Amino acid sequence: MIQIYTTPTCVYCKMAKEYFKEHNLQYEEYDVSKDQSRLNEMVSKSHQMGVPVIDVNGTVMVGFDRDYLEQAVKESQK
Amino acid sequence: MYDLIIVGGGPGGVAAGVYADRKKLKTLLITDEFGGQSKVSDEIQNWIGTKSISGFDLSKILEEHLRAQKEIEIVDDDLVSAVAKTDAGFEISTKKGKKYQTKTVLLVSGSHHKQLGVPGEDKFNGRGVAYCSTCDAPLFAGKDMVVAGGGNSALEAVVDLIPYATKIYLLVRSDKLKGDPVTQDKIKASDKVEIIFNAEVQEVLGDQFVTSVKYLDRTSNSIKELPVGGIFVEIGSAPNSDFVKGLVEINQYGYIVTDPKNQRTSVLGIWAAGDVTDCPFRQNNISAGDSIKALLDLYNYLNSQ
Repeated sequence: MIQIYTTPTCVYCKMAKEYFKEHNLQYEEYDVSKDQSRLNEMVSKSHQMGVPVIDVNGTVMVGFDRDYLEQAVKESQK
Repeated sequence: MYDLIIVGGGPGGVAAGVYADRKKLKTLLITDEFGGQSKVSDEIQNWIGTKSISGFDLSKILEEHLRAQKEIEIVDDDLVSAVAKTDAGFEISTKKGKKYQTKTVLLVSGSHHKQLGVPGEDKFNGRGVAYCSTCDAPLFAGKDMVVAGGGNSALEAVVDLIPYATKIYLLVRSDKLKGDPVTQDKIKASDKVEIIFNAEVQEVLGDQFVTSVKYLDRTSNSIKELPVGGIFVEIGSAPNSDFVKGLVEINQYGYIVTDPKNQRTSVLGIWAAGDVTDCPFRQNNISAGDSIKALLDLYNYLNSQ
């Protein structure tokens, strides 16, 4: 499962979501500007405060790095 | 062998790409993303011809305009790491290990966020030290915050924080704000904002996350400490010119020296435009215009060879 923690105005969150849509990947989005418990979860997962945070089946990444994300998705589909 | 390689995908790179294609130059554009630095802007109100557009949407329409050109080749997931002079022109190397040959080069690689360079900044990067206010401002809801800087991006960071933070200290190094008066009015209208002039950030402190910021108050010549939950660093930008150091002339701040008449660099066959150059104004519209100026001059140069 792919989870993404976002804020409404974050450009790199939008780019990541576009990437998911382009590749027909299902994802769950949490807007951490509105959801304090998801914010806490994001911070405890990533040990930092910055969006986006993407969790691909336990592989947690901060920011949107297309190559890294692609690799994580591939690994998770094995 | 390309006629032209464009290094960068901001407004300058795209403008040159569109013109190059119409001139039927065999062109390659290399970038890792489109839109340049203002991609993360909430709203751009001065991109001429457009009353209001988000940075994200601007990056989209720029990319679409470029991709609508028939012949141009685009690499959109790599960065140029070196440019070397060869007998026939230039060889461009990239981070991913690719090499390309070209007759001419246009450097429109833009600039990147400048760091404070103070203790604690790296340690707490992402843990209270932040550089993208449109992304991360909402994460600091209910916290007192520092914004360091006095230009447009600092003022915009304050505007982004106003709906969320309880108090925002704007620490300005000089004795005045440099950002647009329109944005100055916005932040002065909020009672959450306190502007402190002649303030130099000295250190970022914390445990797991930022807990305070120390600064030198040059007015009283004393060190002061603000208990805050985070700091947005918006002290301007530094040029992305490392990969041509030692090849073209670069000034003491790292900007590529250009002839403002035609955007030529010190090396024949290499042009530069936009934020990476020593042009004193850093604007999307100027990057596009200067880049087109460079393109037209290099077109004439190629035709005269």
